[in-house]
Amino acid sequence: MHIGRIDESATLADSWLHRVSPVSKLLAFALVLGAAVSTWNALVVGSLALALVAIAVSARLRWRLLLTLAGYPAVFALVFAFSAATSVLGGVTIVLKAVTAALAAVIVVLTTPYPYVFAPIQRIVPTIVGDALLMTYRSLFLLLEKFGNLITASRLRAGLTTGHPVRSARATTRALGGLLIYSFDLSQRSYDIMRMRGYEGRLHVTLPRSTDRRVDVALVTGALALLGVSLTWRLGYQALNPYSWVLPIVPVLAIIATLLTKEKAA
Amino acid sequence: MSHIHIPDGVLPLWLWVAGWIAAIVVVTVAGRIASRSEARRKVPLIGVVAALMIVAMSSEIVPLAYHVNLSVIGGILLAPALSAITAFIVVLVLAMLGHGGVTVLGLNAIVIGAEMVIGWALFHAVLRALGRSRAAIGAGVATVFTLAITTTLVVGIVWLGGAGEAAERETGALDPATMRFENPFAEGVFEFGLFGGKDHGPDDYEDGDEAGRYLSAGRFAAVVYTLGPAGWLIEALVTAGIIGYVARVRPKMVFEGPLAEEHHRIPGDESGGH
Repeated sequence: MHIGRIDESATLADSWLHRVSPVSKLLAFALVLGAAVSTWNALVVGSLALALVAIAVSARLRWRLLLTLAGYPAVFALVFAFSAATSVLGGVTIVLKAVTAALAAVIVVLTTPYPYVFAPIQRIVPTIVGDALLMTYRSLFLLLEKFGNLITASRLRAGLTTGHPVRSARATTRALGGLLIYSFDLSQRSYDIMRMRGYEGRLHVTLPRSTDRRVDVALVTGALALLGVSLTWRLGYQALNPYSWVLPIVPVLAIIATLLTKEKAA
Repeated sequence: MSHIHIPDGVLPLWLWVAGWIAAIVVVTVAGRIASRSEARRKVPLIGVVAALMIVAMSSEIVPLAYHVNLSVIGGILLAPALSAITAFIVVLVLAMLGHGGVTVLGLNAIVIGAEMVIGWALFHAVLRALGRSRAAIGAGVATVFTLAITTTLVVGIVWLGGAGEAAERETGALDPATMRFENPFAEGVFEFGLFGGKDHGPDDYEDGDEAGRYLSAGRFAAVVYTLGPAGWLIEALVTAGIIGYVARVRPKMVFEGPLAEEHHRIPGDESGGH
């Protein structure tokens, strides 16, 4: 679980993508997702993934974290592709789609603090759902820290050892049970604190504005262009598919140019 | 099989849109039911259970490509209305972490929500038969049956998703002709095609022919029903262990729910009962 590192990247790092308004990023994400959904050409999907890598490189995101997060769904997609796809190419496309969609989502969460990602959603879902959504992230940090402490305590008491898997499993289950009880006490405590602070059944999140609207427009336009390319290839596949190999060249050049620029700047 | 690890854009449009609509309806109704009493108190409760499930689902057992879900535990503790809301939140957060897909979010919410509600119902049915002293066994049995049912639900979704001509015409998804692309350098030197490089279309297949489908539901079912029971067993053991522990330490939390009055913490116990 990399929640801490995701949050650190979203709140403490600074890049052109961090300064784009959350609404523009979510809109761009939806467009890129639409592009990935609408095509079944492996080279088009691969090009979309490379374009997202180019964006991540230009925003200087932590590539290891990015690849780990994007690679996680790829493992499950691989299992699904192996079990359900009717050809190798179909399987490859399924995995590429998973990686592309995950890259797009992860770029958003690595550059946008969690409350801002979910604030637009909070406004359209029932109040209790929206507020619980915002409470979930806070609870995640507290539970992860508590679970880490419980595991450390078990290990120090020799409850977790590689030579005794049954004993280790029991200790881990007890730790999870303890975590569960702690989590309910935590929810009660959170409720008390929220009431003291005047919670009346609605958490309000004010979305930050963009520092430069031209960058917002450029990002959304770029995402729209990706969707346009995907749809064009989808509709004109008979004429365009033989030229699909052209597509990956553009993002690859963009990645090289970004890396060279970064090196020059350094 | 807690939720569908199907990437965005694999299932046909009608199916995932239907999933979204169903999820929105269920969550809206559940939200109204939950808001009838003590709504404010339920917000942090849903938050912590959702967080617990996210922690569990994000921790993959790498060689098995499996993760525990804690969905049955969540269902046992939250009851149906709050379970539906929690399931939606869990899949929404996971999707934003790149795990689970955004388009299949509605279907995933339905599957996890069903898992929580069925788990809750089966657990209480088993408790009535065996008695409260067998809470751990009841939780384990309920988990195995629940996961078997929801796995079948997922197989059904995949079958619907790859169900041949109707799906292909509706979405164009994996229309074999669309998927085909050729190397422009030389005709026939380097050619990929979904079905052996030939130019197949939906009309080339008989109704019900597996080869005409873009997803093999039969093979998918074979794989998940072969590997699944190992996962159900792991999940059942974890669930039984946790519920057994909690039933010993805080019995009313399991049998009456976490909002029962006696579960309020002891004054001065700021560390949370540890």
